[in-house]
Amino acid sequence: MRSIYIPMVLVILLMVCAGSGNAQTITINNDLSFGNVFPGIPKVVSKATAGSAAEFHVSGTAGNEVTIDFTLPTYMNLSGANMQMIFHTTDCAVDSSASPDQSNPGADNLNPWHTITYRLGSTGLTIWLGGTVVPKLIQTNGSYAASIVLTVAYTGS
Amino acid sequence: MERKQVNGLSGKLAVAALLTLFVLPMSSAFGQDVATGQAIANVLAALSITATTDLDFGNVYQGVAVTAAKDNSTVGTTAGVFTITGEAAAEISVYMVLPAYLATVSGDDRMTVSFNTTDAAYDNTGNVDPAAFGGGVANVDPNNWTTAPTDVGAGGTSAIFLGGRVTPSVNQAAGPYSGDITVTVAYTGT
Repeated sequence: MRSIYIPMVLVILLMVCAGSGNAQTITINNDLSFGNVFPGIPKVVSKATAGSAAEFHVSGTAGNEVTIDFTLPTYMNLSGANMQMIFHTTDCAVDSSASPDQSNPGADNLNPWHTITYRLGSTGLTIWLGGTVVPKLIQTNGSYAASIVLTVAYTGS
Repeated sequence: MERKQVNGLSGKLAVAALLTLFVLPMSSAFGQDVATGQAIANVLAALSITATTDLDFGNVYQGVAVTAAKDNSTVGTTAGVFTITGEAAAEISVYMVLPAYLATVSGDDRMTVSFNTTDAAYDNTGNVDPAAFGGGVANVDPNNWTTAPTDVGAGGTSAIFLGGRVTPSVNQAAGPYSGDITVTVAYTGT
């Protein structure tokens, strides 16, 4: 009877521990904002431009490694009208230092189309994303929007 | 014998404790979070230009040059009018391709047409009547718009007025003549 008691305790411990971990949390500090866009003139927002580049903050267990995955839009939408978006392979940057520096991040020119692996710092991790819109000459005027989905997960190391 | 069993249980508990210590730090590896941010942009009004009124020299006598004023002040002629609409106050660039001559429909004869350095006006007040210039740039060289600051105007509508001159020869063939005037406008992005 005792021989099965201890494995049962271990299983319970595993279950409890799995549910009570210090899970990471993503905070959206800033949307990717292109401001006013002239028809026919592409506009670029640099990942280093504070207030315009998208900014996410990830909090969690310091020192743990996480994967960062974006689901990126290819166009913005306004009531059925589309406007092309481009994310280049260097449009992402991350910084896990205590004082994240958008103009000089810890890791720059990352590819947002691929999984990015990085380790959380003492205050977490800050992620920046830039992009480009390419309006047509006869692009319908108005406010366009698109969703950027960010998924962060611990790797276990 | 009983003591040996107690020691075995203690050993198992020790293993459990060690496993727990091992598992606890790993517990956070099971977490995941998803956030959905937004990309946002405000697209401004599209730019368009329309040839509202043709530059019309009216009836022309052989050997007698005729000037069409950009303000319609020459009787019997009509200034060319191009209407521009777009984002209010946005700066634009203008490029004109002007003909060197007018030609008959068949192309059998040509008549010289010319444009001097003040033959165009740019009205950014929303007025589209050449005879009622409202403001903007009164004298523009239609062959070189780069010297003139141009914008759509506060109301989102502006107009180009164009005059010119034809010089028929003394033996100019009778009949209608025409030539294309092409105007291209584009936002500068400011």
